[in-house]
Amino acid sequence: MTREWIHGLVALTVGLFLLGASPNFAVLRNVVDLVGNVLSIPEYPAVVLREFLRDLYLWSGSKSDLTRQLESLRDENAKLQIVNSVLTAERIRAELDTRMEGARVTLREPHAWWNEFRIDKGLNDGVIMGLPVFQNGFLVGRVSSVSSFSSWVELLTSSSLMIPVVVEETRELGVVVGDGEGSVLLTYIPEARGIEKGMKVSTALVSEILPPGIPIGYVVGDAEPSKSGYVTYRLTPGASVGKLYSVSVLKHSRSILR
Amino acid sequence: MMHVACWLVQDMLSVLTGGILRIPEIFLLSLVYRLLTQERDMNLSVIWGAFAGGLFWDLRWVGIPGFFTLSYVCVVMAAIWAWNALPASGRTPLVIFFMFWAAQLVSPVLSLFFPGRGVAASRWVLFAVQQGCVVPLALLAAFFFVRRMKDHNA
Repeated sequence: MTREWIHGLVALTVGLFLLGASPNFAVLRNVVDLVGNVLSIPEYPAVVLREFLRDLYLWSGSKSDLTRQLESLRDENAKLQIVNSVLTAERIRAELDTRMEGARVTLREPHAWWNEFRIDKGLNDGVIMGLPVFQNGFLVGRVSSVSSFSSWVELLTSSSLMIPVVVEETRELGVVVGDGEGSVLLTYIPEARGIEKGMKVSTALVSEILPPGIPIGYVVGDAEPSKSGYVTYRLTPGASVGKLYSVSVLKHSRSILR
Repeated sequence: MMHVACWLVQDMLSVLTGGILRIPEIFLLSLVYRLLTQERDMNLSVIWGAFAGGLFWDLRWVGIPGFFTLSYVCVVMAAIWAWNALPASGRTPLVIFFMFWAAQLVSPVLSLFFPGRGVAASRWVLFAVQQGCVVPLALLAAFFFVRRMKDHNA
């Protein structure tokens, strides 16, 4: 026990001496450097591991930064797409506003009541043959002849006006034609294509003057089969064909024709 | 040799944490463990081992020799005194755990009052983190010690 205490006290004394006297030893810095250099060999794996962990931390940090930036850019892109859509819609609406021209029905002859009528817009107003004519947003007919100050419009109910159409619910293609007596028919529809009452009919893409998607009316009658294998449906036009006082003409636009 | 390995492990863990975190005194733990398990005539080597280990730790991490040297020797001397003062019936697993834990407590407590990097508050946080690692280590050492004693008595 005594030996242990003697050795312990000697060790403590030497330690105290080192602690008190070490600031005066200039050689101490060299000793510290030497110990550091020697220990750098066994410490090397720990240094490498620490650098690896630091790089991993920085990499994960930069990755999360990139993810945040990506999400921010996606969000910004979505907002810009919405802004672009709104601007495009506003541009189209403005263009349509400038192209839609109101016209007054100036003549509707009794013997051709269901075939044609005259409007007070002509070539000088930008009206050309084939332009669609609307009432309440529905197609009512097409311009069939034009003079400088007036035009004749052929009605949907005319038996000589045939307009390619599509049934919107089934995408079935057909032709709308009038019977000359006030009715509108949907023809050339193959049998058993699932067309039902209430389905919407609009123009199909066949000409640049008559754009696709213009609403015409709704299917109201049952199928009337024919010998050719096609069926005919009766339509009710969206426009009030019987009461026409004023209509709208979608004027000619060179930009759209292009 | 085991003490050298423990010292190196403690040193490497300090390198790994960049010297920011206080690593548990694994070297000191191994010395105390040896004190409690070996014959008394081997205690001298433990005393001087603590001296050498503390000196090298000072040279590596403190730059002023004497601080850890003194605290390591003090802990070893205190452990020798406490162990010899305890009767055989008092050497329960709980007491042994407290001895291992107390051995870990002295140097960090002293370093709390030593000027160093960081503000005082962060030093207390680091001390708490170190103690959080120390308690499982002390429990593990106590477990091995008790098992060794049981094997020895059997």
